[in-house]
Amino acid sequence: MLLFIAKRLVQIIPVIFGVTLVVFLIMQMVPGDPAAILAGEGASQETIEQYREDLGLNRPVAEQYMSYVSNVFQGDLGNSLKNKQPVLDEILLRLPITMELAFYSILITIVLGLAAGIISAVKPYSIRDVSVMVVALLGISLPSFWLGLLLMYLFSVKLQWLPVAGWDGPLNIILPALTLGVGGAAIVARMTRSSMLDVIGQDYIRTARAKGLKEHFVIYKHALRNALIPVITVVGLQFGSLLGGTVLVESVFAINGLGRMIVDAIRTRDLPMVQGGVLVASLVFVFVNLLVDVLYRAVNKRIDLN
Amino acid sequence: MNKEVVLQVKNLKTHFTTSKGTAKAVDGVDFTLHKGETLGIVGESGCGKSITSLSLLRLIPTPPGKIVEGEILLNNKDIVKMKEEELRKVRGNQISMIFQEPMTSLNPIIPVGEQIAETIRLHQRLPRKPAWQKAVDLLEMVGLPSPEKRAKQEPFQLSGGMRQRVMIAMALACTPEVLIADEPTTALDVTIQAQILELMKDLQKQIGMSIIFITHDLGVVSEVCDQVAVMYAGQIVEHRNAKDLFKTPLHPYTQGLLSSLPNIHENQQELQTIEGSVPSPYDYPVGCRFADRCPHAREICRAEAPDLLETNNAETKVRCFMHTEKWEVIEEKEELVCP
Repeated sequence: MLLFIAKRLVQIIPVIFGVTLVVFLIMQMVPGDPAAILAGEGASQETIEQYREDLGLNRPVAEQYMSYVSNVFQGDLGNSLKNKQPVLDEILLRLPITMELAFYSILITIVLGLAAGIISAVKPYSIRDVSVMVVALLGISLPSFWLGLLLMYLFSVKLQWLPVAGWDGPLNIILPALTLGVGGAAIVARMTRSSMLDVIGQDYIRTARAKGLKEHFVIYKHALRNALIPVITVVGLQFGSLLGGTVLVESVFAINGLGRMIVDAIRTRDLPMVQGGVLVASLVFVFVNLLVDVLYRAVNKRIDLN
Repeated sequence: MNKEVVLQVKNLKTHFTTSKGTAKAVDGVDFTLHKGETLGIVGESGCGKSITSLSLLRLIPTPPGKIVEGEILLNNKDIVKMKEEELRKVRGNQISMIFQEPMTSLNPIIPVGEQIAETIRLHQRLPRKPAWQKAVDLLEMVGLPSPEKRAKQEPFQLSGGMRQRVMIAMALACTPEVLIADEPTTALDVTIQAQILELMKDLQKQIGMSIIFITHDLGVVSEVCDQVAVMYAGQIVEHRNAKDLFKTPLHPYTQGLLSSLPNIHENQQELQTIEGSVPSPYDYPVGCRFADRCPHAREICRAEAPDLLETNNAETKVRCFMHTEKWEVIEEKEELVCP
């Protein structure tokens, strides 16, 4: 197990190379000159050149990339082009906000998704099952930014129960976390349902019933744990798209998290900021995947991690 | 004989409703099980023997299956009419089951010791530790080597024979009055089969339980059963003492079954078969269900359904007109018609 974790941690190195390279190349291809944007509208060609010189943007692209990567491995993500502050400081300020949002969102995904899936699977093809699955289908189909706006309109504008935007208190978490979590919950619900139905038809569930176990023991102890195996994978994948979703949801709800930071940085072509943000988000994703694999093994000992 | 009756099944009917209609998988089964007795239920695939055994503990998935009629009397209490709560106290406690597939009948992610111990905790209200110890003792009793270590393992770490031993230990955990063994040796190697059968016989002597042994393997029946019920198309066609049944089978179906067994002492070129096929459970004929395949069938066999009747020996029951007084009358008549 420890060997497996160590191996996976070493694999992070190529991930860093890959992520930085892709972001670097994309940012090179995006139209818009960072030096010109920084110099401001109507700045003279000279001023722009001066900016370019100061920022090292006149060096060959390969050289810029290599020096960036070598800095990354030394823990230096560079300075923002905009305000000259270290990127890492900004990220450390924003990351906890995004992680908190992601945590509550994935919690909603898991709790809501599992509950709905189990409720459906216990009585398949009943009215209860069909209605839960119709709601789940809606949940999958709604784009999160739109759902966010709808929730905002209903709970903040019409009912005035919850704050519209910002990140000042626990009440602020509810709407963005729901917006982000509901889509995943719908996917988890459908996965849980089909996995549970499959497991409930297995011989060992009949054995459990033949032993005289109470139905909730049969469902939670014997069926659910087996049904969870594919669900864990889905939750892990869902966490990835959830991180992507924070970009939109943080913008909609005006939350100063990592996602919004990346959006702002892209707008101003603040390359180090974009790279730093994407890199950290990718690392979070890699760690979550590692966690998923370890959990996977904990639930199902037949899986040999090595 | 005045042996104590443990289980009595009366006119049991389990039907399945599907889009194709109603399948009468079990259609009027009667039998009586005495204390300490081993009853074999034999028949080919699809004759309803497994559905009969699952019905006894009401383990038929509903829908589509349902016990539509009949009584299952365990010490004179009807299982069919029991409430869930009461039924759970019977399952695994008074009646327990061993299933055909030891590979899939154990939960793949729960240690086998725990799978046994949970039954003990449930029915005998023992705390965790003593229940675990009892599970280990049971594993030892069924002959699992190093039971302490094995109890902590999960099914995938055990061989097929070991898993079936675990299933047996689980079934015997609460010393049931009736053990239903549904093809317990079918999925195992022949050598392991013999060991498992031997084990079951030994344990039966120790515990004094009754066994219902479901199988299509007549060799196994001759080895372990006292009584045999032969099933055909959802009904019992012959119910007798095992020795007599093998010596002088009465029902033409039983005769066909026995003669289709290869004999090691004879040099046979071809195996005997029973011509034709089993009628569909969706649409049984009006008369005897075996009539279309029976070499002795007469007009009456296709017009009327025979009942499972006692012959001159009260211990022997057979569902065939050949063994009724009617048959002799018919024979005389037919002789008159076609000399």
